[in-house]
Amino acid sequence: MIINGVTIDDTFAEAFPMRGTRVIITAQNLEWAMNSAQAFTGFATSVIACGCEAAIERTLEPHETPDGRPGVACLIFAMGGKGLAKQVETRAGQCVLTSPTSALFSGLAMDQEEKEIPLGKNLRFFGDGYQISKMIDGKRYWRIPVMDGEFLAEENTGMRASVGGGNFLILAESQPQALAACEAAIREMRKLPNVIMPFPGGVVRSGSKVGSKYKALNASTNDAFCPTLKGQTKTELSPEVESVMEIVIDGLTEDDIKKAMRAGIQAACELGAENGIRRISAGNYGGKLGPFHFHLQEIMA
Amino acid sequence: MSELILTLKTAPAQRVDCSPLTVDKLEGKSVKDIAAVSLVVGNQKLRVDELFDISGDDPALLRFDNATDKLDHIGHGMTTGTITVNGNAGAYLGQFMMGGEIIVNGNTGIYTACEMKKGLIKVNGNAGDFVGAARIGYKNGMTGGTVIITGDTGARTGDHMRRGMILIEGNAGDYCGARMVSGTIAVLGQVGAHLGYAMKRGTLLLQQAPTQGISANFNDCGSHTLAFLPLMFASFKKLDSKFANLEPFSRVQRYAGDLSGIGMGEILIKI
Repeated sequence: MIINGVTIDDTFAEAFPMRGTRVIITAQNLEWAMNSAQAFTGFATSVIACGCEAAIERTLEPHETPDGRPGVACLIFAMGGKGLAKQVETRAGQCVLTSPTSALFSGLAMDQEEKEIPLGKNLRFFGDGYQISKMIDGKRYWRIPVMDGEFLAEENTGMRASVGGGNFLILAESQPQALAACEAAIREMRKLPNVIMPFPGGVVRSGSKVGSKYKALNASTNDAFCPTLKGQTKTELSPEVESVMEIVIDGLTEDDIKKAMRAGIQAACELGAENGIRRISAGNYGGKLGPFHFHLQEIMA
Repeated sequence: MSELILTLKTAPAQRVDCSPLTVDKLEGKSVKDIAAVSLVVGNQKLRVDELFDISGDDPALLRFDNATDKLDHIGHGMTTGTITVNGNAGAYLGQFMMGGEIIVNGNTGIYTACEMKKGLIKVNGNAGDFVGAARIGYKNGMTGGTVIITGDTGARTGDHMRRGMILIEGNAGDYCGARMVSGTIAVLGQVGAHLGYAMKRGTLLLQQAPTQGISANFNDCGSHTLAFLPLMFASFKKLDSKFANLEPFSRVQRYAGDLSGIGMGEILIKI
């Protein structure tokens, strides 16, 4: 399959089940909501060492938020419900509770099959007995007295069985060209709901393979896609490819990831061969590890 | 199936216990069976058809016509359905209610919404003393649901109230929010003396400052913009009440009390 001179490999991205939730952070203005959201989703690129994968999904107009102030929607994913609950709680406690004028709400209704996870439920103890509970429309909120006034947080947020690790690789003739294609792809993918690209700017340059020559490590550089090793290892790269970058996608459903992959690959392919984009590939582990397989050619069909 | 209408034949001299007349207890009964249900009236028992003319057959849409303030325990423990009362209702309207809706086009007696758990009660008129309260000797009043009173309430509104919302479009009587454990009482009109007496926790939200001032056992915490108020006003929007059209405000003067107790309650007055 070739789109605009870009070869789409006959391969698939392998993804894993995760648990995810959406939270909404509001503040006096968008700038302060964003300050809090950036901290909340900071150091959350990969579950390998961050414990979760999180990013800003989109900004929200005042009429879209529960309290009528500007806000930011964040998605956060972890390998299990317990891990997710811990990450949400510590991050909310250190990055939202602390942020001036902020308020924190659930962005996902409770799912029948999944438990809710705490949002303000345990943060309330920061109130040292002065915290106040309010039930509004069947949902419990906590009013926690803080130095700038009151921190309002919804008690719980819904959790969903989600999909993490959807990905594709952009193979280009040069580093600037690979990055330009990634930027174009990310721009389009950010317009879609229910997905995040958790790496810095949405792009990762250090894709990994499973295993390492060093016993202590369980992941190491994906040498087959490293352009400097073309003559040293069993390479996947043709001579003209000089740089490879990856976009990783986490989403609330399999379908959301498919849509995002399609939009991203489409945008990269629009730059085409004349801008040095040669191939689109994907990372997988032979299909044995992850139950979700995203076949590139099917997605682009 | 059409609305089940019970029209009172003559105003009873004794109090009538109407608790058997809810959809939960009448479900599946034919009109003949409903007519034969016995009601305790004073010290005797009467059949429903001795007191009421019956028309219609759907107990989920129950209506009392010509009702008087002798009809006690209307909607007792109901979990679903709608009860409309045209006329006054007696004591304990919606006691132990767990769902559904009661609309009263008239006044209600004492203990309206006594220990109510869920659902909606709307009184298009005045309510007596102890709205949403606990029975005498019991510790927990209303634990959920919404009560709307378009007129005034009597004394001790929300006595021992634990959760839920009482919205009063008129005035509240003396001891409003007395011994309140939690929950919200909002009043558009004036409140009587001893507001929040022995209140533990909870919120008394007032549209206007009480003319007699705030009692000495509440301390001024200053003026504030509280983030939960817009959410609360948004939740009023779906109600059939003056509260739905209220101009939302989040600037309030906050008083904490009752300081003779744990002092975790609050009176919020619009500024």
